Amino acid sequence: MWLRPGDAVIAPAIVGLAGAALLLAGIEVVLLAEGRLAAIWQVFLLPAVGLLYVGAGLFAWTRRPGNGMGALIVAGGFVWLAAGLANTSVPALIAAGLVVSTVPLAIVVHLLHAFPSGRLRGRASLVTVAVGYFVVLVLQAPVYLFDQGEAGPTTVLQIVDDHDLGRVGHWLQDAVGLAVMVATAVILGGRLRRAEPARRRVLAPLAGYGILAALFVPVSGIVVGTWFPEAGLELAVAQLAVMAGIPVAFVAAGLSGGFARTEDVQELGALLSAEEGRPALRAALREVLGDPSLDLLFRVADPPRYVDRDGVEAVLPAPGSERSVAEVRVGGRLVGAIVYDATLIADRELVDDAARVTALAIDHERLTADLLASRESLRISRARVLEAGDAERRRIARDLHDGLQTRLVLLALLVGRSGAGDDVAAELSAGLQGAIAELRELVQGVVPATLTERGLYAAAEELTDRMPVPVAIDFDQGGGELPLGVETAGYFVVSEAFSNAVKHSRAEEMRLSIGRRDGSLRIEVVDDGVGGAHLGSGLRGLADRVDALRGELTIESPPGGGTRILVEVPCAS
Amino acid sequence: MRVVIGEDQALMREGLALLIEQDGAEVVGRAADAPDLLRKVGAHRPDLVVADIRMPPRNADDGLRAALQIRAEHPEIAVLLLSQHVQRAYATELVEQGTVGVGYLLKQRVADVASFTADLRRIAAGGCVLDPEVVATMMSRPRRDDPLDRLTPRQLEVLALMAEGRSNTAIAERLTLTTKAVARHASHVYDTLGLEPTEEDHRRVLAVVRYLSR
Repeated sequence: MWLRPGDAVIAPAIVGLAGAALLLAGIEVVLLAEGRLAAIWQVFLLPAVGLLYVGAGLFAWTRRPGNGMGALIVAGGFVWLAAGLANTSVPALIAAGLVVSTVPLAIVVHLLHAFPSGRLRGRASLVTVAVGYFVVLVLQAPVYLFDQGEAGPTTVLQIVDDHDLGRVGHWLQDAVGLAVMVATAVILGGRLRRAEPARRRVLAPLAGYGILAALFVPVSGIVVGTWFPEAGLELAVAQLAVMAGIPVAFVAAGLSGGFARTEDVQELGALLSAEEGRPALRAALREVLGDPSLDLLFRVADPPRYVDRDGVEAVLPAPGSERSVAEVRVGGRLVGAIVYDATLIADRELVDDAARVTALAIDHERLTADLLASRESLRISRARVLEAGDAERRRIARDLHDGLQTRLVLLALLVGRSGAGDDVAAELSAGLQGAIAELRELVQGVVPATLTERGLYAAAEELTDRMPVPVAIDFDQGGGELPLGVETAGYFVVSEAFSNAVKHSRAEEMRLSIGRRDGSLRIEVVDDGVGGAHLGSGLRGLADRVDALRGELTIESPPGGGTRILVEVPCAS
Repeated sequence: MRVVIGEDQALMREGLALLIEQDGAEVVGRAADAPDLLRKVGAHRPDLVVADIRMPPRNADDGLRAALQIRAEHPEIAVLLLSQHVQRAYATELVEQGTVGVGYLLKQRVADVASFTADLRRIAAGGCVLDPEVVATMMSRPRRDDPLDRLTPRQLEVLALMAEGRSNTAIAERLTLTTKAVARHASHVYDTLGLEPTEEDHRRVLAVVRYLSR
């Protein structure tokens, strides 16, 4: 633990609370020793669990002073110490102990709903926790007012000794208590479903443990009391152990789970001056604010919009969704936004503070994002131009196929039928056949019919048919249909790589692999030729085409070592 | 001979019909897309189907798919596929279902009326006719460790003509050999390709399929 400016203020309160808890626990040990407990270890164990709550709570409080969890756990500790008084032999203290004896369960429910910020979020949580306190404070009343219990002590609070009335009270308390637990399970289940996976890993076991613990204590009491009355001692130990784990679990999860470190905003400045670079800024905000899903957006002009750190346009989450936005301003000028999980960081002020502290750094990074954004819009416009070109190619090929090709064939048919035996007709017919063949080659060059009819794999295979050297094929055709732009680019990659190999490589064998991997189309053309290939005009054009699709083209071609052209184009469909 | 035509372009469809009817055959159905073709073939049970490969609804290889379905459902119906370009893969898919009564020609071949109508009759009679372009693609296609490479040029010629659907007599005529010499070449081809002596026709089909799918 390291010291922070706030520690100086907090320290006296911490010391005071710790002292008070120790004093109370000491008195309780003395009182319990004179009480009705069977074993001497029980005399120490009950107050010890209370101290564990106070200790764990104070620890969390010191580490995260702005987070309510610590205070809540400390309160739980004091309630626990008070509940322990029910086992003394002083009637007034017994009464006090009985009144609060089930309050620790309500505190567990409260902790479950308030984790990790320490504040209750949403009306459902608020109502559930309130009913929880109602169950342990008000519905507890019949127990000490009407019924002294199986072997319970006579209390000064008892007004009538009506066993049946007490039973009804007990039943009512159990039923409403169970309803509270069901509501808690539903609310937490909903939160878990919406939570990020990383957060879910911490939340799920904690929620599970808390709910089971709060159910275990009353249910085990009923079960053991009904069927195994002689196992009372074991029951007490088990209940103590389960409840003792609660503060430890919450504090450990709260401190290690990457949850909000409420007063650490000042630390941001130090973190940022120590480490430069864009990822560091977002990482620092994530770390300090305790939201692993936090994102940083930058405001760029022309047209005014938000972009992420790669310059890709980003949309702000809708108001009222789980994700909130804190605007970042430098001298009133909007420079960016911090997008965060509102259920994770309940305190808006905190994010606004962080935004103020980091505003200059964010503005600085904005310039880079702006540059990337203009590069990105350039890429998009290039992709659009290519796409339009491809669409045009396909239209031309279709028109030639349906129009001119058909007309020429019909003309040839006409000549064939009309002038059999005629020299002019024969020459005309031969000329038409030649024209048709030429047109077929032309269409093939614009967009090969196979690409239109059968897609990339078949068209690439057809290309290998036309190669003068053997080409081994390795196709992995899974993953559904390819986007049109990717398919066309893929075809031209193979075609250009092949013609390059034929022209320059003097290869004797080649290999063509096409497949999908990690959401990308991957094309690899390998030959065993003389190597030394470089980005000539043909491959240059391909590289541009691939780049416009956010893909990558790599050429490995050491002199004498063959050539390997690898193209990867993202094609998440 | 009763014929169903599948061709989406009206002028071409009528041109084909005229050609076929002038040759003395009867056009019993004309379809403009693949589903319509399947329907009319089912209704008329013709002797021969002449279909364009690229047809609606997808305007891709719908005609080929329809042809394969017709071959599977009615093996007795002969099928000729026409296309403005030929592709080895299409030819392979077609003959893999059997080489009896199938054909695959470039559309422009219709211009040579006499030869085209002869091809039609040959296919309807159970022959196999492949466009010389397809066969040429096969010939120029280099492969490693291919038993076909061990064939002599003359044997390859014979095999190519077999793939075009010619009978031994026709091959002999074309290459100016005796029918016996052609049979001897064919037998060498079977041996080189490791085809066990079974029924002659069967071996012939296997050799052609091997040849086309190499």
